[in-house]
Amino acid sequence: MSHEGEQDRYVGRSVRNLGQDAFVSGVAKYTSDFQFPDQLHMHVVRSPHAHARIRRVDLSGARKVAGVVLAMEGQEAAQLLDPVPHYIDPVGFGGKTVPIRCLAVDKVWHYGQPVAVVVAEDKRTARYAASRVQVDYEPLPAVLDAAEAVQPGAPVVVPGWADNSIMALPFANGDVAQAFERADRVVRTTVRIHRFSTQPIETRVYNAVPDPETHGLTFYGTSQNPHPLRHVLARALRIPENLIRIIAPAVGGAFGMKMHGHPEEALVCLLALRTQKPVKWVEDREECLLIGAREQVHEMELALTKDGEILGLRDRALANTGAPSACPGWGMAFLTGLTMPGPYKVQDIDVLMNIVVTNKPSWNASRGYGKEATALALELAIDQAAREMGLDPVEMRIRNFVPKDAFPYDSPTGLIYDSGDYAGAVRKAMEALGYAEWRQRREESRQALGFGASAKVAGGGVVGAAAPGAAGGAKLIGIGLAYELTPEGGAIPGTMVAGYDSSTVRVGPDGSVTLLTGVTTPGTGNPTGMAQIVADELGVEVETIRVVQGDTTTCPYGFGNYSGRSTIVGGGAAALAAREVREKILTVAAALLGVDKATVTMDRGVIRSSAAPEKTLSLPEAAYACYTRAYDIGLAITPPLEAQATFRPGLIRHSPDAKGRINPYPSYSNAAYATVCEVDLETGQVKLLKFAAAHDCGKVINPILVEGQACGAISFGIGGMLNEEIRFDANGKQLTGSFVDYVMPRALDVPAIAVAHHDSPNPVTYLGLKGAGEAGVGGSAAAVVNAVNDALLPLGVSINDLPVTAPRVWAAIQAAKDAARPAERPAAATREVA
Amino acid sequence: MSLHPQYARPRSAAQAVALLDGLGAGAMVIAGGQELMPHVNYGRLMPAVYVDIGGLPELRGIAEADGAVAIGALTVHRDVQSSELVRAKLPLLAWAAGQVGGGWQVHNRGTIGGNLVSMHPLYDIVPPLLALGAEVEILSTAGTRRVALSGLIAETSHGLGTTTLLTRVLVRPTSPSTGWSYQKLKITEGSYGSANAAAVVALDGNRVTAARLVMGAVAERPIDASAALKGLLGRPFDARAAAEAEAACAALVVQPMDDQQGDAGWRRAMAGVVARRALAQAVARAGGAAG
Repeated sequence: MSHEGEQDRYVGRSVRNLGQDAFVSGVAKYTSDFQFPDQLHMHVVRSPHAHARIRRVDLSGARKVAGVVLAMEGQEAAQLLDPVPHYIDPVGFGGKTVPIRCLAVDKVWHYGQPVAVVVAEDKRTARYAASRVQVDYEPLPAVLDAAEAVQPGAPVVVPGWADNSIMALPFANGDVAQAFERADRVVRTTVRIHRFSTQPIETRVYNAVPDPETHGLTFYGTSQNPHPLRHVLARALRIPENLIRIIAPAVGGAFGMKMHGHPEEALVCLLALRTQKPVKWVEDREECLLIGAREQVHEMELALTKDGEILGLRDRALANTGAPSACPGWGMAFLTGLTMPGPYKVQDIDVLMNIVVTNKPSWNASRGYGKEATALALELAIDQAAREMGLDPVEMRIRNFVPKDAFPYDSPTGLIYDSGDYAGAVRKAMEALGYAEWRQRREESRQALGFGASAKVAGGGVVGAAAPGAAGGAKLIGIGLAYELTPEGGAIPGTMVAGYDSSTVRVGPDGSVTLLTGVTTPGTGNPTGMAQIVADELGVEVETIRVVQGDTTTCPYGFGNYSGRSTIVGGGAAALAAREVREKILTVAAALLGVDKATVTMDRGVIRSSAAPEKTLSLPEAAYACYTRAYDIGLAITPPLEAQATFRPGLIRHSPDAKGRINPYPSYSNAAYATVCEVDLETGQVKLLKFAAAHDCGKVINPILVEGQACGAISFGIGGMLNEEIRFDANGKQLTGSFVDYVMPRALDVPAIAVAHHDSPNPVTYLGLKGAGEAGVGGSAAAVVNAVNDALLPLGVSINDLPVTAPRVWAAIQAAKDAARPAERPAAATREVA
Repeated sequence: MSLHPQYARPRSAAQAVALLDGLGAGAMVIAGGQELMPHVNYGRLMPAVYVDIGGLPELRGIAEADGAVAIGALTVHRDVQSSELVRAKLPLLAWAAGQVGGGWQVHNRGTIGGNLVSMHPLYDIVPPLLALGAEVEILSTAGTRRVALSGLIAETSHGLGTTTLLTRVLVRPTSPSTGWSYQKLKITEGSYGSANAAAVVALDGNRVTAARLVMGAVAERPIDASAALKGLLGRPFDARAAAEAEAACAALVVQPMDDQQGDAGWRRAMAGVVARRALAQAVARAGGAAG
C-alpha cells in the first residue's frame, strides 16, 4: 500500500453515496422512464382460476379494438418461443422438473398465470382490449396447502408428475435418536411461516427495442443479473446471445424479485421482434403481489439437557413454493434446510425439507433466500424451549453457539463457516438495546397488571377489564432476541449462481477513472463501496471514479447482484484490477521522474517519489504519457491503462465430501437482533419501542451503507411479522391485490434502531468482507415474534403461527382468558417471572 | 366506458347538473380525484365524460348559515382541519378530518363531498358527521333539496346517482359544554382504519344527559349506536357503564367486515373497544370524572 495511514483511506469511512444527487433531485432515469419512438404496450391476460383446463382462447374481440397491433395465446407462443430455462433446475438436485412456457398451454396451474398477451399503441388500449379476450376454462380441483398437496390422492399440479413434491431433501448428521434418548427434555414447536414477499417501490418493467440492422434487440429491464438473463432470453428466443444487449438501469429496489425466469421477459422480446417496434410492459402492483415467497411449516423438535443445551434437532419442514416457475424461488427452501442449525453447535440433526408445488402463484427469490426461514424456525423454537423450561433466552443461546475459537467450523450439513463471534454480538446487541432497563420496565408492566414476580400467573384476571380511560388498554412489555446466520456469496454448481465475478478498471488519458463491473446494484450503494476500494488501491480521490454496471455490452461478463455478493466479488475483483493499473501508472511515472519505481507512490491522484521529494506528477500527466509514449518510456508497460480481474473467493467446495456434501458459500455473515414491544391487551396491537442489532458483515467498507442495509432488513422483518400477508380464498384466488391489503410499515411503525458493528473478518475474501446486503430479515422477524411471546408470557400463551397481527394476538389473549381456569393452565404458565 | 374520454368543465353548479342530466351513466364527476383516479388508473372505471367541478368557487368554503356551519362540498380536508370556525364550533369534525389517511397529499386534494359520496365504509368523515346530526344539500335540475346525511346513506348504496351534485354539508354547532371524541384504530400508520367511533356526550354534573355514538369501518355501513346507549343516561360514566356500553356497541355489529384490516370476530370486539374509548374521552372532555 502506498498510503500514509489508515485514516487516509476511504475504506471504513461513511463516504457519501456517489451519484446520489441524481436520485434526490429526481433526474435519475428508472426503467419505466425509458420511452422510445413508436413504442407499443403489452398487457397480460391472466388466469382467474387456480387450476383449470383451457378449452379455447378467443382473441377476436381484442383484435377488433382500434389500436391493437397483435394478440397472442399460449399455443402460438409455444411455437415461437422455447421454454424459459430454469435459473436453478431442480434436476441438478435430484428433483423433478418441467418445461416452463411463457403463456399457459392447455391448462393453468395458478391464479394470475399469463394466458394471452395483447399489444397496442397505448397502455389503456392494451388493457381494454385484454378485457375482450375470451377464455373458456374448465375449472379443476386445486390444491393450495402444502400438507394437503403431499397427501395421497391430492390433485397433481404438474401433469406427468407422480406427486407434488419437487424433492424431499434430508440434511442429517450424527446420531439424533441417541440425542433424543439422552435428553432431559424434548420441546416441540410448530412454526408456520406465512406467504409474504418483497415489494419494491418500482415494480418490474421491461422495454424491448428491436434492432433492424442485426435482427437482434436491446432489452432495458429491471434485471438483477443482466448477463445470465441474456443467456436465458437467447435460448428462449432461439437467437445467439451476441444479438441481445441487456441494459439494467437504476431500479427502485429488487430484493431478489428481479432475478429472472419471469414469463414477461421473453414475451416482451418476442413481441418486439414480431412487431419490429419497441414494446413496453410495466407490471402493476396487483401483478407484483402475485410473486410469492417464504411460506413454510416447520415441525421442530429440540432435545435438551436440563440446562438448556441442545443435544439434537429434528425438523420436518414443508415449503409451499406454489406452481413451478423458471425463477430461482424454489431454491429458497433448499437453503432453509442447508443453513440448519444456524449459529448453534449441535451436530446431531435430522432435517427433512419437502419442497412442494401447489396451485398458488410461484415464488421468486426474496431477500433472505430461505435463510430467513431457518432463523425463524430455529429462533422461535429456542424461545419456546426457554419459556417452557424457565431459562433465560439470552443465556440459552450463548450456551449453544458455535464458540468463536472453533472456526473454520464444519456444520452438520457440510457448510464451512469462516469466522464469527456470536456470543459477543449478542452481548453487544443487548447492551445497545438497554437490556437491564427494559427488564425493569417489563417487570413494572407485569406488576401493574398483577403479574408480580412472586405471583403465579393469573390467566384472565385483569385482562380486558374495561378501564374507562380513553388512552388505551392495559399493556405488557416484552423483550425478544434472535440470531441469524446468513451464508453469502453463494455458488451453485452448474448454474449461473456463480461465486466469482469480474471488474475492469480503466484510466483514461485525462486521468479519469472508470470501474466497469459484472455485479449490479439494486440501489444498495455497492458502486460507492467498490469506488472506495478502487480509490484506495489506485491512490485517487473517490469522487473522480465513475462506476458502470448493468450493461452486457460494456461491462465484463458478470452475474449481477444476489446473495450479498456484490462488494465481496465485484469489489475484490476491482481491487485486483486497480493494483494492476496502478503498477502501470507508477512504472511510467518513475520513468518520467527519473527515479526508481520502488520509491514512487500515488495518493489522491498526486504522484511522488521519496527519492526526489521536490518533484510531483499528476495522474493526468502520467496517464497521458502511458497512452502516448508507447515506444519510449511506455515500453515497459502494456497500454492502455486498463485491466480486468476476477475475484474467486475461497472456502467454496463443489467437490462432494465423504458424505456427498458441498459448501456453496465462502462467507457467513451473522447478526444478533433484539427488540422491545408493548402489547395492548384490549386490541392485540403490538408497538415496537426499541430495536438493536449487532452485525458481523466482516470488514465494513462504509458504515452508513451497512447500517442502511441493516435498517432496511429490519423494517422487512417488522412488516413481515406484524402486517404483511398474501392471502387467498378457498378456491385459490389471491385476495391481496394492493397496498390497502398488503400493508407495509411506514417510518412511524419502525422504532429507533441502534446498529452496532461486530466484525470478524473473513479470512478468504478481500479485506475480510462477508456481505451486508441481504442479511437481517429472518433475525429481525424472529426477534419481533419472540418479543410478542415474551410480552404474552404472563398469560401463558404464545404464537408461532405467523404473522403476529393484532387480530391474532388479540385471539391469543382471548384464549388465555378462556383458559384461565387453574386446572387447564399450560405448563408454561406456571413459570415465575424472572 | 370509453377509451377516449371527453372532458367538461361547467362554469356553475347549475350548469354541471344540467350537463349530468343530459349525459347519463357514462359521465362521472371529478373534484379532488382522490377516489376516482385510482379506479381509473387501475382500469376499473373508464368514464366516457369527466365532469370537472373542481374549479367551482360556489362549492368551496366554510361559513355560518341559518345557525349552522355550512361546508361547501369541495372544501378539502386540510381546510376543514384548519378552519377556525370548524375548530371552535365543530371540534369533533376538525379533528376527524385530520385523521383521514394518505398524508398531506390527500388532505390537500381530497374533498368532504367526495369523501361522503364515495360511501367507502373505511373512510373517516361520515361517522363524526352522523354523530353531529349533519344534513346535506343536493342539487339537481329540479332544484336543491336538504336531507339528513343519515337518510342519504340509507337510501342509496352508490352515493347520489348520476344526475345530482352534493353541494353543501350543514352541521349545527355542538354546545361548548359537550364532550367529543373520535377514536380510530389502525393496524399500522399507513393502513386504513380497522374500527372507528365518533362520540358526542353531554353531562349534568357527572351524569350523562345525552350521548351520540357512531361506529365506522366495522361493517358495510356506519352504525349509529346512540339508541342502544340509552342505558347510559342519568348515570355517571363509571367502569360498569363503560363495560355495558362496550358490550352493547359490539353487539350491534351483526355483520362485521372481514378483510385484511382484521377478521370479523376481532372487528366486532374492536367496535366495542373504540366505542368505549370514544365515550370515555368525550365524557372527560365534557368535564366528567372518567379520564
